[in-house]
Amino acid sequence: MQAAWFLAVGGLRRALGIGALLALAGFILGPLATLLVWAFAGAWLFPHLVPEFSLKWWVYVLGNADVGKAIRMSVLSAPTATLLSALICIPAAYAFARLEFPGRRLLLLSFLSANAFPKIGLYVSIATLFYRLNLMDTFAGVVLIQLVNTLLFMIWIPTGTFRGININLEEAARDVGAGPLRTFFQITLPIAMPGLIVAALFAFIAAFDEAQGSLIVGTPNHITMPVLMYALVLSYPQPVGAVFSVLLSLPSVILLLVTQRYLRAGYLAAGYSL
Amino acid sequence: MRGVLGFALVLPPLLVLVFLVILPAISAVITTLTPATGVVTAAPLANYAEVLGTRTLRTDIVFTVIVTLVAVAMVFCLSYPLALYLRFVRTRIAALLGVVFMVPLFVPVVIASFAMITFLVGHGLVSTVLFRLGVERFPRLVYNATGIVLTEVWVSIPFAVLILGAGLQAIDDALIDSARDVGAGPLRTFLAIILPLNATPTMITLTLLFIAIFGSFTIPYLVGGNAPQMLGVTMTNYLTQYLRRTESATMAVIAFIIASVIGIVYVASVSRRERAAP
Repeated sequence: MQAAWFLAVGGLRRALGIGALLALAGFILGPLATLLVWAFAGAWLFPHLVPEFSLKWWVYVLGNADVGKAIRMSVLSAPTATLLSALICIPAAYAFARLEFPGRRLLLLSFLSANAFPKIGLYVSIATLFYRLNLMDTFAGVVLIQLVNTLLFMIWIPTGTFRGININLEEAARDVGAGPLRTFFQITLPIAMPGLIVAALFAFIAAFDEAQGSLIVGTPNHITMPVLMYALVLSYPQPVGAVFSVLLSLPSVILLLVTQRYLRAGYLAAGYSL
Repeated sequence: MRGVLGFALVLPPLLVLVFLVILPAISAVITTLTPATGVVTAAPLANYAEVLGTRTLRTDIVFTVIVTLVAVAMVFCLSYPLALYLRFVRTRIAALLGVVFMVPLFVPVVIASFAMITFLVGHGLVSTVLFRLGVERFPRLVYNATGIVLTEVWVSIPFAVLILGAGLQAIDDALIDSARDVGAGPLRTFLAIILPLNATPTMITLTLLFIAIFGSFTIPYLVGGNAPQMLGVTMTNYLTQYLRRTESATMAVIAFIIASVIGIVYVASVSRRERAAP
């Protein structure tokens, strides 16, 4: 890496490296570390640096029936929304990347509106629609709300990925006699897989994280974990929220570890530069 | 024929978008243009005049814009050097930093907000450490604008570093080295080569950060104070607590208009790159 001289001047490199590492690590890991300590604290009184450790809040949280219901609801709804999103969005992304049709760019950009219009303004109208369709307080209603949040990731990132694949590879497959479907499944899809996995990861986190709309559509019988978290943060002792946070982080942490090797900046960036 | 196929493939997600985003949005806009019940002669923009005429709401709009701008500026100032560092330095420290800065990407926003509260609150870790160091008086760090900005920054850093970093990755090393060969120093090289070549990813990062932070709800709801508040929270309160649907929708449309102005910058910078490409 020859161009490294660029930051190597006048001790700048070392100062920047160590200073940034400490400051950033402190700022990023500090809140999570505090949370983790709280999850195992029986009591943590100011100004002690270390709390008394205890597992009593875990017993309390895991014994709570609402928590069990919320975990089941989240574990069922978020993967359903992600899968549904992948099924409808990946073919669309391929079309955006490879096929010419009128209004292609405008339609691709229109998916930004799902994230630009203030959600609460939408949920008011969506609630009216859902009442009419008997979707309020149903599993399907919650999945649909989560689906809206996944669209941008599942369209834009795969579109960028498909566009990044050398078209000659597909044309070569067609030249030796493979049909369009066979070319897609045997050539395009395997090459695109890492980008699609990154998209699915972001889509899952977006679906799993959704709270504002699920609160309106899912109350009172279809409460997901983030919705329950609002109540826990606002009206329970701090360790209860901390224990629940650890539970709520588990799926993303596991997914992160499993998909770690696919996480390259390029896939995300390719999606957002259209 | 291929045009029809393309459109058919795009149709399913488009239908979801139309029924769950675009039609509800239009319906919200229509609500805001309909005068309140009982008032027959009101002008079509009466609801907007009322919202913009309410002092607390005007304060909230200004507050939202300022908090968003400060947060975007802070994210940018932290992320650009970090992206540069990760692009040009290949050491173990850099690799470790690369892992640390990704962490917030995988923490649900609800948890990030709660973690920030426990970290910054009056008897939290930061206060305890400051107290132990002998600092007993310091400004409140949470349940106000400071808390919102810090949490937004925490949540947004990975996204900004990823997009900026991918842009920097695309700059050829040879170009940077040749700048030195003709006698340019690091600052000159940065201003004349790197900054202009990375302009499009920079614009994309800034606009998407603005839209995301401007419309956020969970962070200001949990980490912010009572008043002034960000629009996302005010809208929700108007709807769920005061049951004033029209005002809530009117604020949503105003917020969307502000976000759209920024969205246009995004579209413009993206299309300029597309035209520039061969």
